[in-house]
Amino acid sequence: MISDLARPFDEIVRNMDQELQTLASEGKRLIGYFCTYTPVELIHASGFIPVRILGDAGTVEKAYTLTPDFICPYLRKAVEKGLNGSYKCLDGLVQGYTCDAACGVANIWEANMGADPFHILPLPYVDQDESRSFLRSGLEDLAEILKRAGGDFSQERLADSLDIYGRIRTLMSELYEIRYEHRLPLSAEDFLTIVQAGFITAPERYLSMLHDLIDALPETCDPGEGVPILVSGSLIEETKVLRIIEESGGRVVADDLCTGMRNFVPAYGHGSDPMDQLIDRFMNRFPCPSRSSAEYRLPRLLDLMKHSKACAMVFVFQKYCTPHLSDYPFLNDALKDKGIPSIMVELDETGIMEGQLKTRLESFFEMIGW
Amino acid sequence: MEKSSKSKKRLNTAKELPLIIAEYYQECHEAKKEGRPVGWMPPMNGGIELFYAMGLQPVFPENWSPVCAAFGLTHKNFEVCEGMGYSRDLCGYLRNIIGYVHGMMGGPDNPLGGLPEPDIILPPQGGCSPVMKIFQALMRRFPQARTFYADMPQVAIENIRDHHMNYAVFEMKRLVNFLEEVTGRKLDYDRLKEVVRLSDKACELWDEIMSYRRFIPTPISASEIGIMFVMVTRQGTQTAVDYLTRVRDELKERAEQKVGILENEKVRLFWDNIPLWYNMGLFNYFEKMGGVVVAETYSAAWSLRLDADNPMETLARKTLTSYPLVSCVSIKKRKEMVLKACREYAIDGAILHRNKSCVPITLGQMDIKRELEEMDIPALIIDADHMDDRNFSTAQFQTRADAFMEMLLSRKGYSL
Ligand code: SF4
Ligand code: SF4
Repeated sequence: MISDLARPFDEIVRNMDQELQTLASEGKRLIGYFCTYTPVELIHASGFIPVRILGDAGTVEKAYTLTPDFICPYLRKAVEKGLNGSYKCLDGLVQGYTCDAACGVANIWEANMGADPFHILPLPYVDQDESRSFLRSGLEDLAEILKRAGGDFSQERLADSLDIYGRIRTLMSELYEIRYEHRLPLSAEDFLTIVQAGFITAPERYLSMLHDLIDALPETCDPGEGVPILVSGSLIEETKVLRIIEESGGRVVADDLCTGMRNFVPAYGHGSDPMDQLIDRFMNRFPCPSRSSAEYRLPRLLDLMKHSKACAMVFVFQKYCTPHLSDYPFLNDALKDKGIPSIMVELDETGIMEGQLKTRLESFFEMIGW
Repeated sequence: MEKSSKSKKRLNTAKELPLIIAEYYQECHEAKKEGRPVGWMPPMNGGIELFYAMGLQPVFPENWSPVCAAFGLTHKNFEVCEGMGYSRDLCGYLRNIIGYVHGMMGGPDNPLGGLPEPDIILPPQGGCSPVMKIFQALMRRFPQARTFYADMPQVAIENIRDHHMNYAVFEMKRLVNFLEEVTGRKLDYDRLKEVVRLSDKACELWDEIMSYRRFIPTPISASEIGIMFVMVTRQGTQTAVDYLTRVRDELKERAEQKVGILENEKVRLFWDNIPLWYNMGLFNYFEKMGGVVVAETYSAAWSLRLDADNPMETLARKTLTSYPLVSCVSIKKRKEMVLKACREYAIDGAILHRNKSCVPITLGQMDIKRELEEMDIPALIIDADHMDDRNFSTAQFQTRADAFMEMLLSRKGYSL
């Protein structure tokens, strides 16, 4: 099911434990994070490899002893995976404060799995001069913490890290553009796998893998079957749900996911020094509901739909995810007003009911009758 | 046991509470009538003192939720909210208030006259995600209200540094400018100092009141915790100070005369997380068996002191610290607080309410439980929800609580 193009990325994702171990045995020090609002460039510039902690496909058994069952399955599965030893190669944990659940789980992680250095970075919600300088101080604070943990930060190093992550994001944006034109010979499952590999491996290696991928893309591509859709949500760790969506008659041509486009837009920030550029990118991110309102996001989503010629929206939410579930009624009504069909899928930790979901999606896509 | 019942109030001052509550809401309506701007805001932030200092009327939609619970209105509100497409998995405060403003608000049968419409909305940044989302929804519902986005660092208390404080003070000042502009009223700093002094006095009294719970037998229990209402809505007013002084005096007298809440206090309990607002009678259950709740996490949100000479700084600090004090921004800090309370209040057992409506206070409970047990304080986890009684099973509660209480009683040498 994974295409040849995506296979090298799939290898990394499937052998994540080994990948992390290899990095560690090469003397790299790894720092975990949950949300993409974590300043990975700064962590990288300090001499660490940032690793996004992903959840496991399995069900939750041990995490019951640490977390209640009403936080998002992603975080519970991440804890489960941590308890199973998958992240024993991580040294520390750094998390930008996005949602309460992630902040709490970061604390729990520190207490139970250990994390040194450990830091939760408060982030501003409004963009004004003072919030930029506030964020700057916070980032300098973090650089100091990483320094004390043996890191080595400098503006020059940050410039290099911004450059490498910027180039990764630019290549990903290129892929997105091809995807918006319905010319990308990659399934949504392939695409997510490619994104995920980037969370796990060193950015230098990832960049060269992306180059190889882009070089290997065929000149032309059959647009394929299926209703072009935009998938919106927080993060999707298991590719299966995307596979089901596409098997049921949809074709993902755009996304608003933090395991997707939200992680890559914009590629760079502007500013007089590297720190300013980092801050500027943060301020101009394609917003996550945990940091903004639905009103602010709606026009951006509509633009994205127009740009990608998507005809429908599929919301894929982690169950219990407050930021997304709270924005949903407004977005859903707004789409209805505009005559854009939408459907919502919730990811449960016990996994999705494949048959049932397929039936729902099939009738949804049939109804659109594209 | 009933799913919704009221707690028994023994303090005369606790019996005054319905009047205090009614007066507050009456004041809110009068403000609206008189054209005094009404502002909706989250609790536990410095906006309240600014409002009182400027003669504006603060209203707390979150606090309205316990009122709805007490009047049995939550189901109606949930129905409206869930009908709009909000998930049942969201915080009960969120579902209640959104349901209320889109449903019965303004209609007949509003208890206490309902909530007056906001002229100003102050969405918080810096509290929990649901509160942020509540205020976004309120702004949608009341588009004519003027809104101000304050930005407050979400930072653990032990990590507060100068730049967090400076930014918080900057935001408080920005808020003052906004309020001056939209209301045409000037903030008088002497008046603000006076309000902050009153607020500080209320905090001092609050701590004093809480400290009476150290007495054995305790003269005040969680059943009387409704007095917290004045800390939420009236901080910075003489009314709060007067009322809390009366509460304190009553407690002092009871403590001196060794009059406990229970005639025969056998077991002292700690309560973690928000109570079940629709079922405060749960405390009666423990009390019937000789168990009294003498401390809780939630009440610590007002254990702050304010510096009237530096009003802006102190209000910024208050805004910055109130929420992290009781949430999961730093589980370490909360754990410390719980363990300290357990020692100081001679706690025999802890009840940890695993609250489906409040993720921030619930996360970390398992870690706290483990440490309590290391201190030889048994802990019971009960699954419930502070707003939604559909997430609470009386039968399950009773079985587990029975066993827990029996164990605690026998540990203390009481035969059953
Ligand atoms: S899925 Fe939602 S609840 Fe989970 S970490 Fe992301 S924003 Fe937070
Ligand atoms: S999640 Fe907790 S802190 Fe936030 S609104 Fe709900 S009850 Fe309040």
